[in-house]
Amino acid sequence: MAAIAHDTHEDHGALHHQFENIEQQNDSYIVGMWTFLVTEVMFFGALFLIYTLYRSMYQMDWYLAHEELDVKLGAFNTIVLLISSFTVAVAVRSAQRKERGLVLANIGITIACAFIFLVVKAFEYSAKFEHHLYPGPTFGSVPEHLNGANANYAQLFYGLYFGMTGLHALHIIVGIIVLSALFNLWWRKCDSVMKDYIPTELVGLYWHFVDLVWIFLFPLMYLMPKPH
Amino acid sequence: MSAIPVDPTSAGNGVISQPTPAASETNYINEFGGLKSWLLTGDHKRIAILYLISVTFFFFLGSLAAAMIRWELTAPAGVVLESDTYNKVFSSHGVIMVFTFLVVAIPSVFGNFFLPIMIGARDMAFPRLNLLSWYLYMAGGILILAGMINGGVDGGWTFYTPYSSMYSNSNVTLVLTGVFIIGFSSITTGINFIVTTHKMRAPGMTWFRLPLFVWAHYATAVVIILGTPVVAITLLLVVFERAFKLPIFNPELGGDPVLFQHLFWFYSHPAVYIMILPAFGIISELIANFARKRVFGYHFIAFSTLAIAGLGFLVWGHHMFISSQSMYQGIVFSLISFLVAVPSAIKVFNWTATLYKANIRLQSPMLYALGFIGLFTVGGLTGLFLGSMGTDVHLTATYFVVAHFHYVMVGGTMTAFLGGLHYWWPKMTGRLYAEGIAKANAIIVFLGFNLTFFPQFIVGWLGMPRRYHYYYLAPEYQVYNIMSTLGSGFLGIGFLLPAFYLSKSLVSGRKASANPWGAHGLEWEIPSPPPSTNFLQIPIVLDEVYDFDPVTEYEQDRAQQAIENSHEHPGMMDSHDETASKLEEGGH
Amino acid sequence: MATTPLSANSHGDHASHELPFGTLVGILLLLMVLMGLTIGASYVTLPSVGPIPGIVINNLVAVGIATIKAALVIWFFMGVKFASALARIWVIAGFLVLFLMFGILGDYGTRKFEQVNGWETNVPHNGGETALPRVWPPEGKPSSTPEVEQGFRPR
Repeated sequence: MAAIAHDTHEDHGALHHQFENIEQQNDSYIVGMWTFLVTEVMFFGALFLIYTLYRSMYQMDWYLAHEELDVKLGAFNTIVLLISSFTVAVAVRSAQRKERGLVLANIGITIACAFIFLVVKAFEYSAKFEHHLYPGPTFGSVPEHLNGANANYAQLFYGLYFGMTGLHALHIIVGIIVLSALFNLWWRKCDSVMKDYIPTELVGLYWHFVDLVWIFLFPLMYLMPKPH
Repeated sequence: MSAIPVDPTSAGNGVISQPTPAASETNYINEFGGLKSWLLTGDHKRIAILYLISVTFFFFLGSLAAAMIRWELTAPAGVVLESDTYNKVFSSHGVIMVFTFLVVAIPSVFGNFFLPIMIGARDMAFPRLNLLSWYLYMAGGILILAGMINGGVDGGWTFYTPYSSMYSNSNVTLVLTGVFIIGFSSITTGINFIVTTHKMRAPGMTWFRLPLFVWAHYATAVVIILGTPVVAITLLLVVFERAFKLPIFNPELGGDPVLFQHLFWFYSHPAVYIMILPAFGIISELIANFARKRVFGYHFIAFSTLAIAGLGFLVWGHHMFISSQSMYQGIVFSLISFLVAVPSAIKVFNWTATLYKANIRLQSPMLYALGFIGLFTVGGLTGLFLGSMGTDVHLTATYFVVAHFHYVMVGGTMTAFLGGLHYWWPKMTGRLYAEGIAKANAIIVFLGFNLTFFPQFIVGWLGMPRRYHYYYLAPEYQVYNIMSTLGSGFLGIGFLLPAFYLSKSLVSGRKASANPWGAHGLEWEIPSPPPSTNFLQIPIVLDEVYDFDPVTEYEQDRAQQAIENSHEHPGMMDSHDETASKLEEGGH
Repeated sequence: MATTPLSANSHGDHASHELPFGTLVGILLLLMVLMGLTIGASYVTLPSVGPIPGIVINNLVAVGIATIKAALVIWFFMGVKFASALARIWVIAGFLVLFLMFGILGDYGTRKFEQVNGWETNVPHNGGETALPRVWPPEGKPSSTPEVEQGFRPR
């Protein structure tokens, strides 16, 4: 048993002072990130719980209200996010192999996908605003867009729709910021990412989580089956 | 004792001793100077000090609100406050005390300071995240204060909908945003604790050699991680409902306001354990080190900590027995609530069993610990009244509830906070305080607390509702309220005195040795105050935790008595410190 | 791309953490197929099975497919396949407690066991009249009425 733990220090540029060796540091960051993602799961989980309850209460009205959502745009956005998740996975793989060009290319595609997602989302939102489908006093003032749903329950649906997709979009925006920062580090050939794949991996984990939320949001918001 | 030769000057923990003498010149306080070095520090000890100052500030504000409440209640028709103002005052008291003091205080001050040291690490796993948590805390706290100053907030600390979302015209949005941000501060602290406990333990520091303080903070961190996001999103939805009219809990549109209560208590009941589990950790340390024995049933206490953390997630509904919650789910919640009493009782019984035939040293931290056991037991047992559906219907929203949770939160958490503060003050600051006044203060707190809150059990049982300030239709409540206010005065003195004598010790207190209490634990192996990196070399832990040797303890006790007899009783204030330092020099 | 010459470090510590490029592509395609399946399933009304209504089965199918997709992303893309036991425990604990939280729904399920006036859900209501004076938007309105300002203390 080594009496002096300093001896085990390796000459590693990215090792922080509180850690003994790079394995401990890497493990710590991965576990820390997963712990954070668990909090995110609970964060969105509460929203999904509210959604489940209200949808079971107002099935028919929610079905009618959801018909205003554009499945094609939703599916397109799903594909965009799945691709971005794939490119992030490739970027992490390339970071492990220290292939800088591939990392940059894949992070670039991911950021592009994130922007495409947001643009499509913006189109969807603006359509809802035009049709007065945003919660508030004027909700449902264009009745033909309610498809016969009870205006109150439809407003509940759109409240959750804007709440959940809005928070998801917020996560996408944060993701764009983080990915851009990572891109910048790789572009400048910083030791912190070039010598250590963990920063790339952590950003990747976050981005996959954003994708996960959408994987559930898409069928729940856009793809309601017709109640009997 | 162990195969590896142990330095004979070490305190006998079987830990490779630290090369202390030269290093004790610089410590975490004086190594770097200037305000900037404090505000941009990554050192967990400095962050803990920042937290100590800020939670003390917020505690002071919350106490002011409490004093106003107590003053108002001395007369059946109120004394100074309008109803509107009274609502805002008790809401401020609740919000400040719960979100900026109780949830934060022990983990962020003592957990931050001692968790890495106790497991033999140089720092938390993520120092910058740790600093961020303090800034988030301050940002949230300032937003809350801004809301209070800018007209206040009403509706109580629970922010029940639909009042908070649709009717209240106070600063709910501002205050809830502040609470939301403080939630993130909690989460970052929790992540740090979990990763640090898992990954940063020194060689030989196995899970069952961890001090119970670390176990308690680990369990707390798990609860924080799993619970806090739920309340964060719930409060955020109320903010959205007010700001963007998202109708989530709006009953006019078919939403269910009781759902808010469900989600709120899904966090806020576990949050009670976020407040009390770290206190359990402190008490376990104090009991072991001042009873000079290994804690009886170490494994039971460790696992009961986890059991409380787990069961705590299954009992939220006992806050909602009269809220239109289904009575069938109420039955289940009532049953599981009784189950929580089991691990809590295991702890109390084990602490008591530790005291049996122990060589108890009644120093000031121990007095707080003993007070804690009594007060927590009363608080816990009255919890059973509230956990049974039948009696709860009678007692809900009366002063009985107020007394119950103050027994747990003030009698429990606050007493443990003071006990921990007195126990670790020499380690944190390197200074010894006056022991005599500290002992007196422990007694003042205990008596003042009981005088404040025991009458509230009676007045609550008689039917006085909480959150009311007029009781002119039942003037017989006045005598209890006056007793309570009187007690709160004593309690206030008990909280103010430490501020004076602890501050005084910083200026004129004598220097503390590395281990003024003769306690066991890694934090006592390093100089007081600790150097910036805690350990000059990472220790290797060879012995069990709380490894008190009965024979040595007996001899030390005899030696101490001999020293005390040989002196011409040098006065209560300093006798301990001298004997302790003598023991330090020659005792081993 | 999988056949490009490996860089010098790829045989180091992290080599075992890498998925073949082909696997990643395969997962992506699988995810796309599952997405198509969900869309298709949403247009089919499934028959009831015994006491379980078809709509519930429909929803179970949708959530089930989403769960499979999520599991694929977690297992492969997020690298839980290679993660330490500790990280896996956290992944499981997170979803377990989430599942626990859905115990809240038990309240709404059992409320119907005993009908109490005012507890019914799905009651159409009378268009937003409430007992309390509604302040909307809540912020920025004067907080007190003249009575409150004059004080109505019963002395």
